[in-house]
Amino acid sequence: MKENNPLSPHIQIYNWHVSSLVSISHRITGIVNYFLLIFICIWASSLFFGEGAYEIFKLFLNSVIGKFFIISLIWSYTFQILSEVRHWFWDIGLGFELKTTKITGLLVIFGSFLLTILIYSSKGFLQL
Amino acid sequence: MVQINLPQNSKVEKGKFFKDKTGSKNIRKVNIYRWDPSTGENPRIDTYEVDMDNCPSKVLDLLNKIKNEIDPSIAYRRSCAHGVCGSCAMNMDGKNGLACTKPHSEIKGDINIYPLPHLKVLKDLIGDLSTLYKQYESVEPWLKTTSKTEKENIQSKEDRAKLDGLYECIMCACCSTSCPSYWWNGDKYLGPAVLLQAYRWIIDSRDEDRKERLKKVADELKLYRCHTIMNCTNACPKGLNPAKAIASIKKMLATS
Repeated sequence: MKENNPLSPHIQIYNWHVSSLVSISHRITGIVNYFLLIFICIWASSLFFGEGAYEIFKLFLNSVIGKFFIISLIWSYTFQILSEVRHWFWDIGLGFELKTTKITGLLVIFGSFLLTILIYSSKGFLQL
Repeated sequence: MVQINLPQNSKVEKGKFFKDKTGSKNIRKVNIYRWDPSTGENPRIDTYEVDMDNCPSKVLDLLNKIKNEIDPSIAYRRSCAHGVCGSCAMNMDGKNGLACTKPHSEIKGDINIYPLPHLKVLKDLIGDLSTLYKQYESVEPWLKTTSKTEKENIQSKEDRAKLDGLYECIMCACCSTSCPSYWWNGDKYLGPAVLLQAYRWIIDSRDEDRKERLKKVADELKLYRCHTIMNCTNACPKGLNPAKAIASIKKMLATS
């Protein structure tokens, strides 16, 4: 009889909280950053293949899609770093109170956007 | 495994509509998950219009009112009505909690009531918790001693204080069924409720089986499927912190 019993709705009906949102984003950005590292390696190796190969990357990164791509990656990276710091504190047993997790979660979200803006706008100084 | 969509036989359909017959001006719509094992039909959402002028404050009162005055066929668990027994745990307004302690005035708009998430439904709002109870049994939730003493086994005030925030758990399963990790790996991952209980016996100064208990729980699937999503702590109707208890077990394992 148990075979025919329906499964009660779960992710379809459950509310999102700040902490669950940051948690799933932490996992997604983790996967994205894995590919980001590969991309940076290919970018760096393009130098070995001469100016032409490097120019292709430059052209891509200066296009609208390229800029969107880079901004997303900076966000993904900064988000992961900030969220990881939150996890370090958790690992030593700190910051588990409900209010604290909400505040630190919001800090991670807004902090990652702020850092993204700061890093992207400082690219002029770095002459990228 | 992660299975986002519900199986075919679990897809929720639109159900019946029970129009208000009292002529009250203070009406709220209550949507309730229904499933009848005696018909071969899919689950459905029935909508009830309830006269709120003559309804006490909690969601359980609302359910009782519907059962008594509108539709006696609706099934749900309840017993103490004071947040002590843990029977009336269900999903209200997208969050798990006890119907007897949740005021319906806290819910905006229509009131949506579902059974606890990701359980086999037995009838209407009643989910099957037998897996959870088996897992609870597996942590051997009783005092274990090997040494034999003639005297009373005394616990200091400090050691007793370590059990605060753990012993209050009423095993209502709000936390475990709110946890996405438990949804996807509920057969292997112990879940927040059982891990909190495991920690309650690990930390008890009178227990002499701590090493074995820790060894038993130190498992990739049993314990480390907790990714600090914190849904458990958000859901707990008793204000306990299962996520912290799990982190304490992980910390004990890392430092012992």
